[in-house]
Amino acid sequence: MTASASGKRFEIGVDIGGTFTDIVCREPGGGMRVMKVPSTRKDPSQAVIRSLGLMAEKWGLAVGDIDRFIHGTTVATNAVLEHKGAKIGLITTSGFRDVLEIGRQYRTNVYHVVLEPSTPVFLAPGALRREVPERMSAQGAVVTPLDGAALLAAADELVAQGAQAIAICFLFAFLNPAHELQAKALIAARHPKLMLSLSHEVDPAFREYERTVATAFDAYVKPVVDDYLAELEGGLARSGVNAPLQVMQSRGGLTAAQIARERPVRLFLSGPAAGVIGGRIVGASAGMHDLITIDIGGTSADIALISQSKPMIRPEGIIGGYPVRVAMVDVNTIGSGGGSIAALDASGGLRVGPHSAGSEPGPACYDRGGTQPTVTDASVVLGYLDPAFFAGGTFQLKAELAHQAVESVAGPLGLDKAQAALGIHRVLNAQMAEGIRLVSVRQGVDPRGYALVPLGGAGGVHATALARELGMTRVLVPRIPGVLAAAGLLAAPIEHEVSASFTTPLADLDKAALLKALEGVDAKAAALIGAERVTPDEMTISYFADVCYIGQSYNLEIPLRLDAQDTADHLYRDFLAAHDRVYGHAVESPAKLVNVRTVHQAHGSEVLEEMRFAPREGATEVGKRHVQFAGQSAPVPATIYDRDTLPAGFRFTGPAIVQQSDTTTVVEPGWSGLVDDAGNLILTRQ
Amino acid sequence: MTIAQNALDPITVEVVRNKLEGIANEMQQTLLRSSFSPIVKEGLDASASLFTVKGETLAQAIAIPIHLATLIPCIARILKTFPLETMQEGDLYLMNDPYLGGTHLPDIALVQPVFAKGRAVAISATMTHHQDMGGMSPGSIPTNATEIFQEGLRIPPLKYRDRGVVNETLVAMIRQNVRIPDTVMGDLNAQLAACNVGARRMAEIVENFGHDQTQAIFADLLDRSETLTRAALRQMPEGTYRYVDFSDNDGIELDKTIRFEVAVTIKDGTLSCDFTGSSPQVKGPFNCVPSGSLAAACFAVRAITDPQIPTNAGCFRAIELTLPEGSIVNPVEPAPVNSRTATIKRITGCILGALKDVLPERVPADNSGELLALMFGGRYANGRAFVTGELITGGSGAGLASDGVDVIETDVTNCMNLPAEAMEMETPIRVNRLALRPDSGGAGKRRGGLGLIKEYEILEGEVTFTHRGERHFFAPKGANGGEAAACAHSVIHRVSGAQEVIPSKQMTTLGKGDRVVVETAGGGGNGPVTERTRTDILTDIANGKVSPVKAREVYGLTEPV
Repeated sequence: MTASASGKRFEIGVDIGGTFTDIVCREPGGGMRVMKVPSTRKDPSQAVIRSLGLMAEKWGLAVGDIDRFIHGTTVATNAVLEHKGAKIGLITTSGFRDVLEIGRQYRTNVYHVVLEPSTPVFLAPGALRREVPERMSAQGAVVTPLDGAALLAAADELVAQGAQAIAICFLFAFLNPAHELQAKALIAARHPKLMLSLSHEVDPAFREYERTVATAFDAYVKPVVDDYLAELEGGLARSGVNAPLQVMQSRGGLTAAQIARERPVRLFLSGPAAGVIGGRIVGASAGMHDLITIDIGGTSADIALISQSKPMIRPEGIIGGYPVRVAMVDVNTIGSGGGSIAALDASGGLRVGPHSAGSEPGPACYDRGGTQPTVTDASVVLGYLDPAFFAGGTFQLKAELAHQAVESVAGPLGLDKAQAALGIHRVLNAQMAEGIRLVSVRQGVDPRGYALVPLGGAGGVHATALARELGMTRVLVPRIPGVLAAAGLLAAPIEHEVSASFTTPLADLDKAALLKALEGVDAKAAALIGAERVTPDEMTISYFADVCYIGQSYNLEIPLRLDAQDTADHLYRDFLAAHDRVYGHAVESPAKLVNVRTVHQAHGSEVLEEMRFAPREGATEVGKRHVQFAGQSAPVPATIYDRDTLPAGFRFTGPAIVQQSDTTTVVEPGWSGLVDDAGNLILTRQ
Repeated sequence: MTIAQNALDPITVEVVRNKLEGIANEMQQTLLRSSFSPIVKEGLDASASLFTVKGETLAQAIAIPIHLATLIPCIARILKTFPLETMQEGDLYLMNDPYLGGTHLPDIALVQPVFAKGRAVAISATMTHHQDMGGMSPGSIPTNATEIFQEGLRIPPLKYRDRGVVNETLVAMIRQNVRIPDTVMGDLNAQLAACNVGARRMAEIVENFGHDQTQAIFADLLDRSETLTRAALRQMPEGTYRYVDFSDNDGIELDKTIRFEVAVTIKDGTLSCDFTGSSPQVKGPFNCVPSGSLAAACFAVRAITDPQIPTNAGCFRAIELTLPEGSIVNPVEPAPVNSRTATIKRITGCILGALKDVLPERVPADNSGELLALMFGGRYANGRAFVTGELITGGSGAGLASDGVDVIETDVTNCMNLPAEAMEMETPIRVNRLALRPDSGGAGKRRGGLGLIKEYEILEGEVTFTHRGERHFFAPKGANGGEAAACAHSVIHRVSGAQEVIPSKQMTTLGKGDRVVVETAGGGGNGPVTERTRTDILTDIANGKVSPVKAREVYGLTEPV
């Protein structure tokens, strides 16, 4: 079979996680096929290349038929977490060499006295930092011209020290980038292969420390991401894939690998962003637009909020414990997960976490040497998980080890095993519920009006209990929660966002100057999107302004309405409304515009699969087992359903367990389930 | 539930504990989110906490240690003035007076009794540093105050709301006495919103778990933290450990240093701090009322015991304080107190310093212990007024196994600095330099963290300049044979070429072209200098933290670098 012969067009989404690499394949007019292969941590691209062979073998898919190849990657994040980025140099304005190390002088752990640095000094310790004479004023005027000779000398030294990339951060470059651009030209002429990150390109906004950190992180991961994506693109090409490689960025939009390599700092939340987009699309397919997604992993849980079908975007995220000022999907991580260990403290109290058995050794029931009871062990004891059907039966759990582990805390607590296991769940659920509540409070949102969407493998076990705890009445379990991030890749839009500093009191807003500034960012965004294979009629362009009260130094992103008669007045009104929503008040004090931003989007498909959902043939009920639920004194019989066989319109009531190869959904008593037309499982509290 | 009603189920206890922490953090979010003034938004200078009906801390948000502890005596005083049985649903109480339990006048405590089914079940409380509380200078922290009446409006425990009806007399009184009434009322409303969140969610808990069970759980949580804290203290060597340190001066009598002496006794699971021997109270505003010493001791207890112990009143039961009346740690009315932060930091440093020999793994060498406060106010050439300020710190002390951290907030405070770009955009001041201060960290096997050098240049007009420094005359000491850090040092370079060394505290006027160079103290070193490895010394030289000269002089490096 050859590519041209079949005439088929497949779209492939690949999300690489720590343990598994998830692959989703979609064919226009057809259904969605999914595959999980073990990740290859050393060189993650190997698993991808290997999966091409499996796709041919299992699905009869010819590589030449692949039309789009979309990727969510953790390479940038892992480089930071493991401190395995490139050796970089940092060049700053004379007098400001140490900004990266001084930071904002804030310490993370309030009650600690033996301290650890709060700033990412490891990116460029003093020996790899240089300062050069140059200075812009706070109005963007040249105070001291750039000393080109000093700059080249600094670059030469850094290269001689082994720097693979250089970050340049000059004061007020976001107002006037002339010196950074001059520096780039000079260095590029001397060291054409050296990678550069310029602060006005990475993060054109005020506050020198935050901008320096973002720029240094960009340089730090650039050689690593570049190598990796080059390797992957090369591997795909050698395997016969002609489709361009696209990569998910932290904001939830895709870009060509070619561009991603230029701005790798935008890839830190590549994987989680894909999960949130997947959640959004699934929600839309069920007619639900206000969602809270929760992805429960082994050591942590990721929580994100989607309001009116829009994922919340935060202007700054935390990577490896350091704030990085790059817009990203607002995914909040809390340190509780399936591997969280239950233990007794010295006063005899039960604690769950913060220690975790992770995936190695993992829960006791994995039989890999772990003996302490984890949340997953409790799930086995409670009857939530079927040891023989874990991960679709590919991985046998040892129930007796789970029982032994839970017994080790049950005895001292004076409880029976079931009550102790239930206790572990209650404590974990309380922690996660508080985490969800905090995320909603910060956005000014009441979670009770939202639907909970469990992602990943472990979410379904806790979903109804968590929703009950939070007063939420709806849970939406996607048809394939285990690979939703990979599926999200296929539905995401291609997106480019460019912003620029544009400071003016709103009252004095000069619309002509505003339009000129937008023209500038539009040109840059258009150049970026030009490198994607997108035809202009598929494009949406939206404009935003960062606005704050005069005297305030944090701002809110407000959509710009350029068609309106009085743009400034609309902007002000919208700002007040947003301020009231997020901060709880809005006085009519003067406001100012700080940055302008353009977002160019080429829309994704908005549906996960075009084929009507069809269940597999077979019995819907596959048995009953005794399951212990919260608030009940003894286990009760629960019906076990096989998710794959449940047809659209199928209804049932809890207590029930719904099994499928990538997750198990626990339906507490008091909840009823319905399979909708798209195959989603919708649980409603009665 | 199979659990008998009267026996406490350990799981429910832990579930409730997690919820209490969640509620405190939700209150904190609400407080920061709905506050208006930059000091709260940017400096995060506001805190939320939950208390039992007896006024014992039940759970704290992650916030400012000084606030969290000073709410304790505030609530005690409010409960004394308005006994619990007289409190009604919908009541709110507030106060700020340092001599009645507060800390300094800008910090207002707002306190709400929580009711469930008509019974008082807990107390929800917040403390915010307000932008202005009246008095002799904008911002209400006048460094030249000599009595509290100059510092602003003193509010004793009063009812802010009576069964839902706001006390308009009090509101009018506050509004009339502060410079920015709308901002103050806005921030007070944010406190109210946060207290409400706490009250609503606490009431839910009590309704879910029942009044008696909830009260029993609260008591149990406190007892558990007490047990864990006392057990941790019992593992420490018993004895009395002494420490002496000094503050530069009180800003009024510049030649008079302030002595702090503490005897910390660890015995039978208690930590007692006796400040006998400390200086008498001072003329200037550096006096510290007892709530400040309590904050220092609370911080010390949490710092030296396991961080996993839930922070609540149980941890603090192990504390005993002896504060001689009329001394710097227990001044007599009407001594001024507004600059007490510097003093609380020194008290905390002394308590920890006393323990550093006996707990070498937990307590590092002395921190810079300074939070340099700079204020600039003036007008642009076109007449537009500006005012700005910032708080700058120095290095942290080296630990037994790790170097100190450069320029980082320590102990009871945690404020952010001001970016150079922010300052330059808002004022006619240029920052010429923002750098680590080489050689300022105390030498030792583990080097102390470095202080900072920052240079400001006045570009336009006349600027009123206030410098409230510390550690100009008394260096942060080392531990286990490590050396002391460099003292702080600040100089004004006049455009005329004249240089004026700032004697720790100063108010003066700066003109166009004048430059101010401030250098903050480092942290103390830990362990003998002779034991620092050659690799560490060379790395420090390469990174610019230690000069080759100092490497030769202090560390005895012989090879050329």
